[in-house]
Amino acid sequence: MTTATRADRIDALLPQTQCTRCGYPGCRPYAEAIAAGAAEINRCPPGGQAGVRALAELLGRAELELDPECGVHAPLHLAWIREDECIGCLKCVQACPVDAIVGASKHIHTVIAERCTGCELCLPPCPVDCIDLVPAPATRDRMREADAARERHAFRAFRLARDEAERDARLRARRAE
Amino acid sequence: MRVEVVCALAEIQHCVGLDLPPGATVADAIAAAGFDANAALVVQVGIWNRPVTLATLLREADRVELYRPLRADPKLVRRKRAERNPVGVQPKRRVSRS
Repeated sequence: MTTATRADRIDALLPQTQCTRCGYPGCRPYAEAIAAGAAEINRCPPGGQAGVRALAELLGRAELELDPECGVHAPLHLAWIREDECIGCLKCVQACPVDAIVGASKHIHTVIAERCTGCELCLPPCPVDCIDLVPAPATRDRMREADAARERHAFRAFRLARDEAERDARLRARRAE
Repeated sequence: MRVEVVCALAEIQHCVGLDLPPGATVADAIAAAGFDANAALVVQVGIWNRPVTLATLLREADRVELYRPLRADPKLVRRKRAERNPVGVQPKRRVSRS
């Protein structure tokens, strides 16, 4: 198995929460680090012990205890914005790795609940601390939603890169005038 | 051209996927999704967190969003926060007498 296909298979076992608790900027970079032998398989709290076990089986390695340094496993919780307090600052929108928050500057921001991976990355940037974490409905399942989350995360990266390229092109055009 | 229109309310978020012909505008997408861009609740429309006009042309994978007004007054929130935690005001120093 090449390193790339190994990374694909590892990535397929990660929940695509994109929470960065493993110490890598997303699930894919963590998968690549495992594939390259640079990271242990026990650094994904959302995946939990079941996730570590699945990775151990895939790679034919011994199962490790989930590394407490990365955090503890908890059932899925979703971000919820208290609308009476939201000041429309866009900070949470910019922090969301899967484009699960809708809103524009000076307008109410709203979490699309069914797309929230519970990564918690929107919490620290909120200047008015108006985001709660609420338990997800029992019907929700991280692994079943992983493919959609991976796709949204990848599309977001593409979109932000495109925005930047277009901004650069506009600036160059203005300078050339 | 695949696009999506999102009308996100606190309790329920409506996301409608659409396949529109090239040349379709934001207004076309909102109408095709069955939303009313003139509803009182909708004070602005946008694509991917940026306000745009209804006449804006769409492109592949755009997410058209309907925005609702703030309920909080950001300046009032700021003022209240400042009162609770004044910037530049030192806590009273306790004078120790020996």
